[in-house]
Amino acid sequence: MDSSVPGGQRTLQKRRNAQLQKEKKANQTPASPRQAGFGGSSSSILKLYTDEANGLRVDPLVVLFLAVAFVFSVVALHVVAKVSGKIF
Amino acid sequence: MAGFRLIDLAKPFLAFVPEIELPYDNLPFDDKLVITLTTALIYLFGQFPLAGITKESVDVKDPIFFLRGVFAAEPRTLLEFGIFPPIATALILQLLAGFKLIKVNFNQRTDRELFQTLIKIVSIGSYAILANIFIASGYYGEDLSLMAKFLINSQLIGAGFFVTLLIEVIDKGHGFASGAMAIIAISLSTGLVDDLFGVQQIPVGQEGHREPRGAVINLLQGFRAKHKTFLGALVNAFQRDYLPNLTSGLLVIVLGGTVCYLQNIRTELSIRSTKARGMSNVYPIRLLYTGGLSLLFSYSILFYIHILGFVIIQLIGGNQEGSIINKVLGGYESTEFFYLARFPLSLLTPPTSFFAVFKQPLTVVTFSAFLIVTGVWFATNWQEISGSSSRDVSKQFKEQDVALAGHRDASKELIRIIPVASATGAATLAVLVAVGELLGLKGKGAGIVVAVCSAFAILEVVTVDFQQTGGQSSIAQMLGGRAA
Amino acid sequence: MAKQNAQFDKLVETPLEFVKEGNQFLQKCKKPSKKEYLKIIQAVGIGFVAVGVIGYIIKLIHIPIRYLIV
Repeated sequence: MDSSVPGGQRTLQKRRNAQLQKEKKANQTPASPRQAGFGGSSSSILKLYTDEANGLRVDPLVVLFLAVAFVFSVVALHVVAKVSGKIF
Repeated sequence: MAGFRLIDLAKPFLAFVPEIELPYDNLPFDDKLVITLTTALIYLFGQFPLAGITKESVDVKDPIFFLRGVFAAEPRTLLEFGIFPPIATALILQLLAGFKLIKVNFNQRTDRELFQTLIKIVSIGSYAILANIFIASGYYGEDLSLMAKFLINSQLIGAGFFVTLLIEVIDKGHGFASGAMAIIAISLSTGLVDDLFGVQQIPVGQEGHREPRGAVINLLQGFRAKHKTFLGALVNAFQRDYLPNLTSGLLVIVLGGTVCYLQNIRTELSIRSTKARGMSNVYPIRLLYTGGLSLLFSYSILFYIHILGFVIIQLIGGNQEGSIINKVLGGYESTEFFYLARFPLSLLTPPTSFFAVFKQPLTVVTFSAFLIVTGVWFATNWQEISGSSSRDVSKQFKEQDVALAGHRDASKELIRIIPVASATGAATLAVLVAVGELLGLKGKGAGIVVAVCSAFAILEVVTVDFQQTGGQSSIAQMLGGRAA
Repeated sequence: MAKQNAQFDKLVETPLEFVKEGNQFLQKCKKPSKKEYLKIIQAVGIGFVAVGVIGYIIKLIHIPIRYLIV
C-alpha cells in the first residue's frame, strides 16, 4: 500500500492536512447567509432580507397601510388631472 | 478589513433607509397566512394605471412584453417593471458574493446588514433608471412636460420603493418563505383566472361589439351572441389574438401540470439515525433542486439584454430606419401593441404567435440554447453557494445524527447526486419554458412555470410551519383541515 | 491544429456527456404515481384557482375606479 503513494506515507499525511486546511478555510468564509447559518436564500427560495439593520425601523402593518395610501394618492392624482383638465 | 468593499457603499444609507422590524416571536400560523396574502394582494392593487401619461397611442410600443409575465409586471401601470429590480439585483449580488467577487463576511452581522441594504438601494435605484429610460424613450408620450416627467418618476419610483418593502415584510418572517415568490405566485394565478374567467367587457372592432377578457366566458358568450355563428364563435374563442384565447389558456394549464409532475420527481436516499436503532427514513433530493430560480435568473439576464438593446436603439439611435445602429442591431418593428425586435435581438425574442416562428426560425435554437445554458450555469453555481450543497447537507446530517444507509461518507454520495440533479432539473425546466414560449405564449408560459415552482417552494415552508405549530389554525379548520 | 481539434471535441462532448448524465439520473429517479400525481394536480389546481379568485376580486375593484377617472 505504502509504495503506491509517491513520496511515501508522510507526503500523504501532508496532503491530507493541506486538504483539511483548505476545507476549513472554505468553511470559514461562507458564501451566503444561509451557509453561515443565518437564514436567507436556500436552494429553491430567494430571500432578500435576513437581518434587522439599524435603520429607520418600521412596523410591517404601517408599511402595508402606506402602500395602499400610495396607490390611493395616485388615484387622487388621476382625479386632479381630470378635474383641472390638462395641468401637466 | 482594509481596502474598498462594495457593501461599504451602503453605509451612508443605513441610517435612513426604512427597515421592517423582525417579529418578536414566531408568529402564529394564521397571522402569517393572512399577512402573506394581504401583502401580495396589495401588490396586485398596485396594478393601477399611471397618471400623467398620454392617452393617445404613441409610436414607441412595449419592447419587453414577453418578459412581463415572469416578473408580474403590467404595462402602463404603477408596476411597469414588476418585481424585476429586486429579483435581478438579489440574484446577481448574491451570486457575486458567493463567488467572493464582492467581499462580504456573512458571519458578521454588520456585513449582512450592509449587504441587504445594498440590495435594497440598488433595486430602488434600478427602478429609477428604468423609469427614466422609458420616459426618455417616449414610451409614455412624446414631449412630456417637466411636471409630467416628475410625476411619472415619483409614481414609478414610489411604487418600486413600496414593492421592495412589501417583499421585505414577507421575507422577514411576517409571512411565509419569500416575498418575491409569493407575489409571483399570487399575481400569476390571478392573471390565469383573469385570462380564463375574466368578465370585464372590452370593446373590439369598429362595430361596437364587446368581448369579455376571459377566454372561457368569451366562448360561452360567443354562443349566445347574435352576430356570431356557432362555428364562428368556437373558432373565435380558440384563436382571437387581441385578447386571451382558449388555446393559450389550455397550453398554460398543460405547462403548469407538467411542472407539477417535474416537481415531484426525486431520488430518495434512505437515511438512518446514528443514535437510535432502527429509526430509518428517506431523504428526498428533488430533480428541480433549485426550483424556479434558474428561470428567474435566465429571465433577469434576458431583461438586461433587452433593456440595453432598447436603450441603444431607441434612446441613442431613435429607431431610425437606415441608421447605422439599426443596420447593426436591427431596430424595432412597431405593431399594434408591441415593439418587435429585428435580427440580432430577435434571436432572443420568443415569437408572438406560433406562426411567427417561421419569420425567424433561428430563434428556436438560440432562444432555447440561451435558456438552457444560463439556467444550467446558474443552477450548478447556486446549489454550491446557497448553503445547500453536498457539503452543507452532509454537515446537517452530522448535526442531526443522521447517516446515509450503506454509505460511510454522506458527502461523497451527495456530491454525486446534488449537482447533477440541479443541472438536469434546470435544463428540463428551460426546455419546457422554451417549448411554451416558442408556441407564442408571450411570457405567460415562463410565468406559469415560475409561479408553480414558487408555489411549491412556499407550500413546503407552509406545511412545515403548520406541523410545527401543531396544526393550530382556525383557517385550516374552516377549510375542513385540508390546508396542509 | 491538434489542440484545436481537442478543444472542438470537448465542445461537442460536454453537452453530450451532460445529456447522458442527466438521462441516467432521470432513470434512477422516483416518479410520482398516477394516483399521487392526480392528488397533487387537484390540490395545486384548487389552490391556484382559489388564490386567483381572491386576487381577481382586487382587480374587479379597479374596473369601476378606472372607468370613473381615466
